[in-house]
Amino acid sequence: MKTLEIFEHINAKSFEDAVAALQKGNAEVVAGGTDLIGTRRFNVLPSNPATLINLKTIPNADYIKEEGGFLKIGALAKLEDIAENDIVKKKYAALAEAAHKTASPHLREMGTIGGNICQLNRCWFFRKDDNYYDCLRKGNTKTCFALTSDNRYHSIFGMEKMCAAVNPSDTAPALVALDASIVTTKRTIKAEEFWAVAIPGSTVLDSDEIVKEIQIPTPASGSKSAFKKLAIRESIDFPIVNCAVLITSSGARICMNAVHNKPRRATDAEALISGKTITEELATQAGEKAVEKAVAMSNNKWKIAATAGIVKETILAAANA
Amino acid sequence: MSSEENNKKTSGLTRREFIKDAGIVVGGASVASMALLSACKGDTKTVTQTVSTTVNKTVTKTVTVAEDGVELTDLHVILNGEPRVCHIEANWTLRDALKEGMGVISLKDMCNGCGACGSCSAIVNGRPILTCMALAVECDGAEIETAEHLGVINHPLVNAYAKNFCAQCGYCTPGFLITAKALLDKKPNPTDEDIIDALGGNICRCGTYPQHIIAIKEAAKGGK
Ligand SMILES: Cc1cc2nc3c(=O)[nH]c(=O)nc-3n(C[C@H](O)[C@H](O)[C@H](O)COP(=O)(O)OP(=O)(O)OC[C@H]3O[C@@H](n4cnc5c(N)ncnc54)[C@H](O)[C@@H]3O)c2cc1C
Ligand code: FES
Ligand code: FES
Repeated sequence: MKTLEIFEHINAKSFEDAVAALQKGNAEVVAGGTDLIGTRRFNVLPSNPATLINLKTIPNADYIKEEGGFLKIGALAKLEDIAENDIVKKKYAALAEAAHKTASPHLREMGTIGGNICQLNRCWFFRKDDNYYDCLRKGNTKTCFALTSDNRYHSIFGMEKMCAAVNPSDTAPALVALDASIVTTKRTIKAEEFWAVAIPGSTVLDSDEIVKEIQIPTPASGSKSAFKKLAIRESIDFPIVNCAVLITSSGARICMNAVHNKPRRATDAEALISGKTITEELATQAGEKAVEKAVAMSNNKWKIAATAGIVKETILAAANA
Repeated sequence: MSSEENNKKTSGLTRREFIKDAGIVVGGASVASMALLSACKGDTKTVTQTVSTTVNKTVTKTVTVAEDGVELTDLHVILNGEPRVCHIEANWTLRDALKEGMGVISLKDMCNGCGACGSCSAIVNGRPILTCMALAVECDGAEIETAEHLGVINHPLVNAYAKNFCAQCGYCTPGFLITAKALLDKKPNPTDEDIIDALGGNICRCGTYPQHIIAIKEAAKGGK
């Protein structure tokens, strides 16, 4: 097993502490470490910040509670605790199911929701050991290797800033479907606006900004939600495509992920099913509507059909929940 | 150059070799290893710091800085019921510390540290985790249980695993065993579905999967 690059390690005692350490520069934060340790071990990036700031030592940052019409989840809450929480299972089913389907049991016992939404993308060119592909998400060249090579799992909704990678987070589409907001050390960001193509990051966060809390408005009574995921090795793998759906008495919110650089709402499909009785036929039409604007790359035409199928299944699962 | 080669070049004795030796000494480990370190490294600086640990206890610990400026920290844990200590560096994973510093051999490495095989699993503060993905410095003060402990406490899983041929080559078995123990601690009477779910992150190249379900259910009934 490869050893990690040597670094300085700081245990933060508060978010202010951690921000101050970030502002000194050449530093990054670590939560569960399940993404970051691998990135460092395999030298995915050209270089790593020298200092690692551990957020797990911040007291009371891993809560899951309902308060003032919101579900509030501390950024350091473990995915397993979210998946097993009775309130989340009952009223925010899409999120509980998404957390439960993320990675493997061990990784859920370590991984946090903050880390899950901030993880780097999983494009196999970007992730290749020893910074083998010097791609544009590393800031060095103008090349996206997926454009001309095996891109069977890449974007079906075009490139953004010339990058065809997809966002791999399983909780992200659930947070968008449930209309969550992300509270950081600087501001509150709507989940829909949280993700971006950065170098090498996948969020709109500034270099000295940290996620503190996730807030989800409690859905009106009678609302139902569900999450579905397609993966090769079901018990541990990243999504090939996933989807979360919220159905309320008057409307619907549908969000897909792993299909584009950011989680993507299927607004046309939402309009199609809003306020209607969900039948298999309607769900199939909505699935097709969701991929109407999809554009295949050289190897991933199959993924468009797979996405339509997952959207359909998730709509049916939510309707029958 | 790997950090190991680097160390060899500067000191003649790799830090890994050194820590392996020091780790065998329990109790008096700090004193003994410090003397050894001074002997093999020439100049070292020892400073005492107050730090809070991951379990929010405040402890005073000794930080030793080696000749090449690398900080060696003491890691204190309760390993299988016994207090243990070893020297670590900031970049060590928990697997490095337990295996190379404390001689725990049940922690395997089937996926090269990708976090994808479960063969390096241990129970840390009640949670089954991957020791290849945890930093040792972040586990100071932790209570750790490894597969070795199941033999010591004569856990029914051990017999049930042997009786039901859960091991073929046996490489993955400690990871499965400790994950199964964590499941039984949480759910003493698991269903097939619970078992399949809990073992979802463990890989067996020999394909022993169905046997684990039989064995775990047998162990849940006290081995019958
Ligand atoms: C084998 C394997 C399978 C996996 N499968 C899946 C999967 O199926 N689905 C999935 O979604 N993920 C998967 N993952 C990815 C990852 O384990 C999870 O996403 C996990 O939730 C990451 O959380 P963490 O706390 O461990 O993050 P860390 O590794 O600690 O951090 C990840 C990144 O986020 C940043 N960060 C962490 N917390 C914060 C914060 N509060 N504010 C700002 N930045 C922060 C870190 O600096 C780092 O860049 C898998 C990983 C592995 C190794
Ligand atoms: S070595 Fe494979 S999960 Fe740790
Ligand atoms: S018994 Fe050989 S890998 Fe599982």
